[in-house]
Amino acid sequence: MNIVFLLIPLGLVLLGGAVWALFWAVDSGQYDNMEDASRPVLEPDETPH
Amino acid sequence: MSDSAQHAFYSGADDAAHAVFSVEGMRCAACSRSVSRAIGDLPGVARVSVNVATQRAVVDWDPGKTTLPQICAAVAAAGFKVAPLEGAAASSRRRAERRAALKRIGLAGLGMMQTMMFVYCLYAGGSHGIDSGIAQYLKVAGMLIATPVLWYSGAPFFRGAWSDLRRRALGMDVPVALALALAYGASVINTLRGTGEIYFDSVTMFIFFLLAGRFVELAVRQRNLSATEALARSLPASVARLEADGSTRRVAPEQVRAGDRLWIPKGAVVPVDAGLIEAEARVQESLLTGESSAILKRAGATVLGGSVNVGHAIKVEALRPVEDSMLAHIVRLLERTQAERPTMARGADRIAAWFVLVTVALALGVAVLWWWIEPARALPAALAVLVVTCPCALSLATPAAFAAATTRLAKSGLLVTRPDALERLARADLVVLDKTGTLTSGAPVVQVTSTHSGLSRADALQIAAALEFVSDHPIATAFRPFVSPDRVAVAIREFAGKGVEGTVDGRLWRLGRADFVAQLGGDRPDDSAGGVLGSAAGVAATFAISDGLRDGAKNAVSQLRELGLQVVIASGDDPKVARDVGRQLDVQEAYGHLKPEEKLAFVRRREEAGARVLMVGDGINDGPVLAAASVSCALADGSAIAQAAADLLLLNESLTTLAQSIRTARQMRGVIRQNLTWSLLYNLAAVPLAAAGWIAPWVAAIGMSTSSLLVVLNAARLARPQASVPARRRRLPGPKSFLAEVHP
Repeated sequence: MNIVFLLIPLGLVLLGGAVWALFWAVDSGQYDNMEDASRPVLEPDETPH
Repeated sequence: MSDSAQHAFYSGADDAAHAVFSVEGMRCAACSRSVSRAIGDLPGVARVSVNVATQRAVVDWDPGKTTLPQICAAVAAAGFKVAPLEGAAASSRRRAERRAALKRIGLAGLGMMQTMMFVYCLYAGGSHGIDSGIAQYLKVAGMLIATPVLWYSGAPFFRGAWSDLRRRALGMDVPVALALALAYGASVINTLRGTGEIYFDSVTMFIFFLLAGRFVELAVRQRNLSATEALARSLPASVARLEADGSTRRVAPEQVRAGDRLWIPKGAVVPVDAGLIEAEARVQESLLTGESSAILKRAGATVLGGSVNVGHAIKVEALRPVEDSMLAHIVRLLERTQAERPTMARGADRIAAWFVLVTVALALGVAVLWWWIEPARALPAALAVLVVTCPCALSLATPAAFAAATTRLAKSGLLVTRPDALERLARADLVVLDKTGTLTSGAPVVQVTSTHSGLSRADALQIAAALEFVSDHPIATAFRPFVSPDRVAVAIREFAGKGVEGTVDGRLWRLGRADFVAQLGGDRPDDSAGGVLGSAAGVAATFAISDGLRDGAKNAVSQLRELGLQVVIASGDDPKVARDVGRQLDVQEAYGHLKPEEKLAFVRRREEAGARVLMVGDGINDGPVLAAASVSCALADGSAIAQAAADLLLLNESLTTLAQSIRTARQMRGVIRQNLTWSLLYNLAAVPLAAAGWIAPWVAAIGMSTSSLLVVLNAARLARPQASVPARRRRLPGPKSFLAEVHP
């Protein structure tokens, strides 16, 4: 039963890691534009002008 | 860019200044009231209007008595942040707002899952037996997670409630913050005491669901805003100006003055309203008028600022600086309308403020009552009442629908200049159409009615065109398209009120009234209508000249009829011509020879008889008539926008858009009604259940978020184009046009 005393703090550390990863992802702009990311697939690599 | 923002959104004279700026941090009706009070109390402020849905304030004031910085300071003192509207800064602010919201939601979501796990252990342990040491350990762990969630993710609720209270106003954050503080406080005390219920799971869930709801609201609001900002931002950062010595220099659009010559390469945006120097150019004005196909412009025509040059590179001469160009007027109008609140919304705001007060009182009553019956259930029941009630849906119902509808209409080419106009448009049941410039394009169209002595129709038109070539009579323009380089008239003489005479291919021709032509010789033609072409050999051809109906006029009239509107034509022209146009459009009631004051009297009479008149005119000659009708629409070109006498401005001059807009306005009215009904029903149903203790606090949080989400999403439906066939076709272009859209 005493393993719980170790596992819960470990869970909290993992939670902290997840929060840190999320904050990093948001701050580095990964969620800034959710719509346009799917568009380049439909465009040619270069457009002749 | 900051200079341009000043130009685009601040306009001032010596005694009257006008500015639009965005106010950050407004969440509800109470906030908007305190902002407008803070500004309105300043000396010299003539008018102030604040809108929560768009986060904007519009102020008209006397700059001699109060300065712009003083206004900003007053808003700051009320607890809000002022920022001038401008492209780049606004979008980076929006990005920051979005990122902060995502981080808060993320933390709350992760924290919520973790605390739920701990609390589940406690519940399970409660029935199966759990070591009290471990139970206490789980509670402390829950507190460790709930604390950062409360202080970081829940911060906006506390900040909002605090600024509400400081201003002695009641916003929707007050009950939420109260519930959070109560639940968290009681849980911490119980954890430290080592006995009693804890609500850490409820705290984290409240925060998560409320934040998620607000995030969607934020996204919808930002999408509506970005439509106007897309307009303001569409101007290029720099433009090539042709200097006197023949060189080019890149300057900012704001530096362009009237008379400057500019070089616009293919694919570039024209920065200001300008005259075309080149022989012809192909431009796309979709940004301004919603018309997506390219338009051919000829030398001397005005190319509007904001239109895209899709043809070859052109030279233009600036007509006006950026701040006087049509685009700036459109942006200013949109800003003003979206910042004002329709009358219906103001009513809902007042109700919402009372609503919060009643909620808090009710929660207190419920807590006291349960304290007598079963003390353990007092706190959860009071929390549920505080959280489940949703004044936000009530105060969002109208502005959200209005913002979505105006955005949608602006995209299709109709500008709403007054907030109540859409409501009145939805109710209109009689359309009075001006003829010239509204139903007809104002440009006469010529038709060959008969030819004699073996002359072909094409030859008749060419000869007539050659004769009319130098004339500046309006009718002469009808012949312009038929001018041929092979047929040139010499020795042209004009006879005022009769016609023209000239020699073509060595023969003397006359074009004009029948008796004038008959003087050359030959018979008098029997039908005297229109113009006659003839020579000494007699009549060669007769022409009918009529006002050309606008494209889609017939379709538009039948669409208006389908919508249940009665259609009337009121024209200043010859009654015969008016009736003729009426016949072509299947309109029985067509009146001619109406002077402006007679049109005015006509509209008044119909209004008094109970009709709600939608008056459609060209906006220039019929200002008073437009004002007399219950709602008015002007077919506006660049000049008319500045005057803006009408409630609605039709930028693409297509009456079909007007019919579509009536449909949208009616949809908006329907959506507002649904929204108000929903929020009333929801609150009436939810409050008694919560008071009875049948709703767990966390369910209450879901209920409230869902309720305000439903309202906002229901309104957002309006911003989407209708699922009619042509609209859908436009949404799904073929591969080629799709690419052209992405890389113009």
